[in-house]
Amino acid sequence: MDTNIEKIPTTPPDEITWEDDLKKVGLLRRLLRARKWYGADWWFVAISSLAVLFFILVAIFPSWFAPYTPDTLVGPRFLAPNEIPAVSVLIAPSDSTISSLKDLAVDENADRPKVAVVMGASTSGDLNDTAKQIDADLISEGNGLRLRPVIERYDSLDSALQAVADGTDAVAVIESTEFAGVSQNYTSLREAGSLTGEVVSTSTKGFVMGTNDIGQDIYSRLIYGTRIALIIGFSSSLLSLFLGVPLGLLAGFIGGALDRLLSLVMDSLYAFPGLILAIAIAAVLGPSILNIIIAISVLYIPTYYRIVRGQTLTVKEEVYVEAARSIGARRSEILGRYIFPNVIPSVAIIFSVNVADAILTGAGLSFLGLGLPPTIADWGIDLARGQRFIQTAPWMITFPGLAILLVVLAFTLMGEGLTEIFNPKLRDR
Amino acid sequence: MPPITLLAIIIGVPSILLLAYVFIRGTTGLRRYILTRIVLTVPMVFILGSLVFFIMRVLPGDPVSSALGPKGTPEMIQQIRTQLGLNDPMIVQYGRFLGQMVTLKFGNSLVGGHRPIIDEMSERFPATLELIIPASILALVVGIYGGTLAASRRKKATDYAFRIYAVVIYSVPIFWLGLILQLFFGVKLGWLPISGRIDPIIGTTLQTHTNLYFIDSLITGNWSALGSVVLHLILPTITLGLIQSGLFVRITRANVIETLQADYIAAARARGIREKVLIYGHALKNAMIPVITLIGLQVAILLAGAVLTETVFSWPGMGSYLVERISARDYTAVQSVITVFAMLVALISLAVDVIYSLVDPRVRY
Repeated sequence: MDTNIEKIPTTPPDEITWEDDLKKVGLLRRLLRARKWYGADWWFVAISSLAVLFFILVAIFPSWFAPYTPDTLVGPRFLAPNEIPAVSVLIAPSDSTISSLKDLAVDENADRPKVAVVMGASTSGDLNDTAKQIDADLISEGNGLRLRPVIERYDSLDSALQAVADGTDAVAVIESTEFAGVSQNYTSLREAGSLTGEVVSTSTKGFVMGTNDIGQDIYSRLIYGTRIALIIGFSSSLLSLFLGVPLGLLAGFIGGALDRLLSLVMDSLYAFPGLILAIAIAAVLGPSILNIIIAISVLYIPTYYRIVRGQTLTVKEEVYVEAARSIGARRSEILGRYIFPNVIPSVAIIFSVNVADAILTGAGLSFLGLGLPPTIADWGIDLARGQRFIQTAPWMITFPGLAILLVVLAFTLMGEGLTEIFNPKLRDR
Repeated sequence: MPPITLLAIIIGVPSILLLAYVFIRGTTGLRRYILTRIVLTVPMVFILGSLVFFIMRVLPGDPVSSALGPKGTPEMIQQIRTQLGLNDPMIVQYGRFLGQMVTLKFGNSLVGGHRPIIDEMSERFPATLELIIPASILALVVGIYGGTLAASRRKKATDYAFRIYAVVIYSVPIFWLGLILQLFFGVKLGWLPISGRIDPIIGTTLQTHTNLYFIDSLITGNWSALGSVVLHLILPTITLGLIQSGLFVRITRANVIETLQADYIAAARARGIREKVLIYGHALKNAMIPVITLIGLQVAILLAGAVLTETVFSWPGMGSYLVERISARDYTAVQSVITVFAMLVALISLAVDVIYSLVDPRVRY
């Protein structure tokens, strides 16, 4: 009995309200706790902002992620994703000393050496290219030797190899992987190494996303393309923000003739198909990144203008603005201290969705061949290029499109989540 | 009869009949509203046209010297500038431009056969029309059905599936969707053609009256042409339609959910009306009104999407005409096409507003 009484504290407990609780924790923890209020939307925003941060990181340091620069020619053209590039090798009789194509070089007037290839294989192109190069080297050396092989085409691997075994042809040029399977049938033949005599590297890996029509690594171009996409998205949205928000504030606050004129122009601009307007502007300005940014930012000024003007009109009638006015606050002060902070949340939401739209529009413009110089690593340009090879190299169009989709999705989801969080009225919808 | 006249009759006669009906049977308020709306279209076209003029003329960059390239001597440039009237004072050029907008006489194109631009456009315009009409229908069907379904199965798997669909489809680049459809149905499966409006061989048997191939093949009874036209229409329609449908799903869903919470729905439910009738009969009908407004706002997105879709599918419409003329640096044609697009936007939004006022008895201005 006595012990129970002693347990009752002598001083009343501090009244802890949730507000005091919140004040004790830092910003980060407050953000983390917000997930209990906002649920799914909090997760949308969290995950998509992480994705956006990741894309920004990729855009700033593309060389951390990309194995090559976007313009280097890394390998054969039209290599499928992860396809190991075929290396052409020489197959020579075992008793010969041939170790490279150069060993086939003969005197200017002597019989040209015969080389067997399989019809339709990619090796004949390699043979041609390498032979031409070696020939050019030989001419510049000037000791009378030339390399002009006569290419004999056979319709199967076996007949090509048989021709070398019979002595009809000097060597055969086939893909490195093919000889291993049939080598026991041709004991008199051996693999003499690559065309140039360099060691055949067996560790050659394919490219994650394949190569394009001129032999560039698609993955590396994808990584570097992030930079252009984000530059276009952010700078054009920022430009339209800096123009649209002040205009909206002024039109809403001052009203009158200025408001009517601005609204008329902005509404017409808003009604116009954005991409077509951007096409017109980009066509007149000519291709450059700055011009594409200008073209796109013009489209989105009305978006900011309309929202900010509407908000300003509402906030202007609030009691606290009335109060500020009655104690003699200057107009600039009312605008800056009481009205502007109220439009910031909506502007943040529009900005996020706007970046997504701008990236889509920019990709559309460069897909049409407008706006960007064709040498730049850009997703839209890569897609336009891939369209021509849709039958033979479908991987050229799948990956850049996926990249656009992912980046745009991240920004859209962020905007969506922010809308739901800032506009609780809509949350139940 | 030139195709454009026939087309004008096909579009014009029903609209005039509709307007006549409205004016005879409609209330005074409705009549006044529609009249005001028609009158207000004039300044809208005027402002949009001036915007185009301003952008094309005032921005830096000389169309003539870029069209001639490095071969152009200063004399040649001057000659062509005088010929096109680019050396006149800006106000004279503006006046001439407005005149062209009213009379639709845009002059001759700078490249190719130097034909009148309005003739070239009237050949291309039906193709665009044939694309955007079925695409809009598809978008509406998918959007309204999906949105209603999502709203009626709220917070269940169907609902989440449609919400995710709406966000993802909004983020897909339209030209990429077209390419992927081409790749899958055209290249991999080989079911559908991936470019053009009609099989070129069958196309020679088709007599064109309106240049709307669908209508042409129907009225001439050319069934093989009709089949080919429909096959060619499928992929572009799906591309353009699906991209549009995302927004419709969202708006329909939000509005059906809102109407389902209204008192008259609770009253209807209390009377024991079946849930299906409740949703499709009562709630959807009332939720449709904001959706119709959205159609008007979507016109801009629809036309922009049409430009990209036409380019991907080599569809010979207004959009691909614009892109072709930009790469040919045919400045006169580019300006004319964009002006016509501006007029289209104004006219379609006028049409949507008029239909809106007819559908919704609550709107009285």
